[in-house]
Amino acid sequence: MNALIAITILAPLAASALGLLWRRNVMVRDITTFAGLLAASVASFFILAGVADDGTHVVWVGDWNPEVGIVLVADLFAALVLPVALTIILVVEIFAIGQRRTSWGANPALAGPLLGVLTSGVSLAFLTGDLFTLFVAFELILVSSYVLLTHQGQRAQIRSGMTYVVMNLFSSTLFLLGLAIVYAATGTVNMALLAERVPELPDAVQLGIGGWFFVVFGTKAAVFPLFSWLPDSYPTAPTTITAVFAGLLTKIGIYAMIRFHTLTDMADLGPAMLVLAGFTMIVGAIGALAQTDVKRILSFHIISQIGYMLMGLGLFSVAGTTGAILFLVHHMPVKTVLFLIGGLIENTQGSSRLSRSGGLATAKPWLAVLFAIPALSLAGLPPFSGFVAKLAVISAGVDASSSVIVAVALIAGLLTMLSMTKIWIGVFWGAPSEEAEPVPTRRGNRRMMITATSLAVAGTLTISVFAGTLFDLSERAAIELRTPGTYAAEVQR
Amino acid sequence: MTNTSPTTHSKSFSVLPASVALITPIAAFAGIYLLFAGHNNPGGGFAAGLVFGAIVTLRSLAGVPNRLDATSLICAGVLIVVAVAAAPLFFGDALLDQKVVSVTLPVLGKIKSGSALPFDIGVTAIVVGLVIALLSGLRTGDVTEGDSP
Repeated sequence: MNALIAITILAPLAASALGLLWRRNVMVRDITTFAGLLAASVASFFILAGVADDGTHVVWVGDWNPEVGIVLVADLFAALVLPVALTIILVVEIFAIGQRRTSWGANPALAGPLLGVLTSGVSLAFLTGDLFTLFVAFELILVSSYVLLTHQGQRAQIRSGMTYVVMNLFSSTLFLLGLAIVYAATGTVNMALLAERVPELPDAVQLGIGGWFFVVFGTKAAVFPLFSWLPDSYPTAPTTITAVFAGLLTKIGIYAMIRFHTLTDMADLGPAMLVLAGFTMIVGAIGALAQTDVKRILSFHIISQIGYMLMGLGLFSVAGTTGAILFLVHHMPVKTVLFLIGGLIENTQGSSRLSRSGGLATAKPWLAVLFAIPALSLAGLPPFSGFVAKLAVISAGVDASSSVIVAVALIAGLLTMLSMTKIWIGVFWGAPSEEAEPVPTRRGNRRMMITATSLAVAGTLTISVFAGTLFDLSERAAIELRTPGTYAAEVQR
Repeated sequence: MTNTSPTTHSKSFSVLPASVALITPIAAFAGIYLLFAGHNNPGGGFAAGLVFGAIVTLRSLAGVPNRLDATSLICAGVLIVVAVAAAPLFFGDALLDQKVVSVTLPVLGKIKSGSALPFDIGVTAIVVGLVIALLSGLRTGDVTEGDSP
């Protein structure tokens, strides 16, 4: 188990170094980065199997004592999210290898290795058991994301990249200050110890810490009103990069929030979270309606969906947390797939603008099918995974008799459906656009991109099929998080 | 990769290159000291890397050509760090666990070191590599025109 956990963090890092070293040998470079990501994602499935059977596994890095040491904790929540995240990156890497030789692609010598560094940070962020290592993981992810976002050096990318970097540096600075505050108040940054010590603090200090980290993680997660950097920056990056960012980055903010705020039992913040969750849902959904570009519509959907996860968390009940976790697991692959399909649309039309596409339902019916499945799932229609996830969150809201937020969630779902229809009408219906200029792509590469997308769609369908199992696992993870002392007892054992 | 400075200094004004050449060994010594001191005192791989990086920066300002390849340094550094981090797993120890070795040498006395030393050297290589990459990046600063895809 120790080795498996090490693999998820170290293998992508080592692969990225090797890939960078052999960046001129295309074959070796692609195989090395792919192998590193594959090793990590296979290991993560074994971790999930192990944790589901034998319970939480803790790694004391370097055998230091709990107060100062680094600890990696594979509890059910982490083990559940990790394989989903790593598999997404793996699928995107397949797509990226296919896309690399087209003019839309990210610079292959950079994107592969940096994706490795990002993956390593993602694994670390999920597995870490202390706040400082979480900060390091965030930085690892962010620094590689800065480069991935702007490395093509186009004007629009640099402009929106600027906002992205400034926003994230702002929240990282707040994070660092928050760490100092937490350490001053409790004498530790270890989450297991925090779970015991934070509830003993005076109420005002508790609320202050909870609110502070809500702002920190909320900025990363693009929660209203700190969301404006997202729809601006994501659509400018190459498809593969956006797909990874859309699937993972904001979700890591939500993940950290779910972990930190349930462990330290910040139920007092619940009402504030619910209000912001409502605004996030509605603003994201309405923003999506106003857009005229596939990638921009999808970017606004990310924000709206973040609202649902925040709602699950804000209810501070086992059912709510279960819903949030399930939503997280469902949302990551679906969002990534939608962006990959956005990339395919761009590839066949030469642009992702709605006005410049049309008639794809007759020209490329398989693309329409590939789009319809995750789109319906995202809007929350049965029998897809989105339905199960939304149902879990909304029924938790009904249980807690928070009727306002439930109503808002339902309206936002309807608006999401509307904007999906907008993409459908614009891209798939109507006469084929005359302005379409397909990006020249070699047959083999194109096949690779389609294979990756189909694999990912199949993956989201698998999630719908195993929704029952996933619900049980999410519920177990939620109970672990919501029961005071469980996490702490496991870590200190 | 051989970087030649875009501004070749004039032959008549060679105070800067001369003083940089004088300073280099002293600064390098300080860097090596920091690398070793880092185990128990202020210093360490990152601090040493910054000092070495400062040397590289000074030399490139003075127009001395630089023969180090940034990417190879970074890659080598990352690989060393990963290897040191993962190695204890093969002996059944915790991730990143370190072995401490002490030897008594004639002149230097008792020296305590261990597997943290290669780790620090790896970190140093990464930092120096980054500084070199930054310097060569600053030389070629162009923004591609055109809309996003």
